[in-house]
Amino acid sequence: MESLYGSNIARLEEVMDYLLSEINSIRNQMMEEEGLDPVEHCLSRIKSEESMREKCIRKGLPVTTDSALNKLYDAIGIRVVCAFLNDVYKIKEYITSLPDCEVVEEKDYIKHAKPNGYRSYHLIVRVKETFAEIQLRTISMDTWAALEHHVKYKKDIKGNEELFTKELKRCADELASTDISMQIIKDRIAKLPENNN
Amino acid sequence: MKILLVEDTKDLNRALTVALEHEGYSVESAFDGEEATDKIMTNGYDVVILDIMMPKKDGIEVLKDMRSRNVVTPVIMLTAKAEVDDKVLGLDAGADDYLTKPFAIKELLARVRAMARRKNGYDSEMIEYGDIKLNGGNFELSCENSVILSAKEYELLKTLIRNEGKVLSSDYLLEHVWREDDGANEDTVSLYIMYLNGKLNGIASNVEIAGKLESGYCI
Repeated sequence: MESLYGSNIARLEEVMDYLLSEINSIRNQMMEEEGLDPVEHCLSRIKSEESMREKCIRKGLPVTTDSALNKLYDAIGIRVVCAFLNDVYKIKEYITSLPDCEVVEEKDYIKHAKPNGYRSYHLIVRVKETFAEIQLRTISMDTWAALEHHVKYKKDIKGNEELFTKELKRCADELASTDISMQIIKDRIAKLPENNN
Repeated sequence: MKILLVEDTKDLNRALTVALEHEGYSVESAFDGEEATDKIMTNGYDVVILDIMMPKKDGIEVLKDMRSRNVVTPVIMLTAKAEVDDKVLGLDAGADDYLTKPFAIKELLARVRAMARRKNGYDSEMIEYGDIKLNGGNFELSCENSVILSAKEYELLKTLIRNEGKVLSSDYLLEHVWREDDGANEDTVSLYIMYLNGKLNGIASNVEIAGKLESGYCI
């Protein structure tokens, strides 16, 4: 079978590496300024051809290179997991201000959480005619999303779905509350006078 | 709602049971103080109606006993004498309300309703202010989306909303929200105000708490 991405794999990898290097650059800059690493971890991937074919079909698109690269935007996927809430916004700000990076779509699911409690900042950008999806979130949001995903695909909870959905939403709202408190504590500590000892 | 009726006079016990059941309450009866204590320690009730003058163990003893074992169920006591000392003794022992015999059944029913209101009022209180909703049942603060507040954050926000437009000093807030928590000081208040403003912003609300540590806070 011919590659769904055609001859574009190298370009996808190049753009992904470019974005990762830019994220690394703001990460180092912030680390120097604040003495704390703003990024807990950063994941990246080129969507597997199998998943991409499946997604084209699911979205009712022809399974073609054009669909994979220009109709769907997540051939390149990057997830930046931050320690603190404000770091998410600082890194987002940096990415969207890059001169060669066009913002195609921006969704703040942190301020406007999804009804199930899901929180994350979603960006779709275009660099050198190549789309990439970047998700930014805090460790708490990432932890929540991992468990929610697990629960969603676990089959033997039928009948208890409503209870789990409601409880997971409550957990998301508690974590969101804690994220805000932690940010405020961090800011408050940062304002204390320097200890010269 | 489940009521325990402790009254040793059989006819009166019967008459009150019928009246309360007619109102839709589920009623259990006890005819002396010992039976009352046994039932209170074994079962859960929403309200206890407690006669003072009883064989074996009087109502005051029953009351002191249950309170010393941390049973906080609201108690309405029934006193035979209209003497002030009796009422004071009962209220100090932990009663929430009293009725002097003879009383109209209508009045007892009204007092039971008032008691139920007070109890439910705290549990499921829903406060709306500006574009926000504050749920006393689960401490959920919501606007476009929601966060769960801590107990102190909830109390603090509720106090500010209840005193809408008034500037409340750190001392006032410490006394009304933190009460006997000795570790809390005005920096604690200032930090909690910042938490609340952060969370109000986090749910995309327009509500903001104004003020400073020196001048006090206002919603």
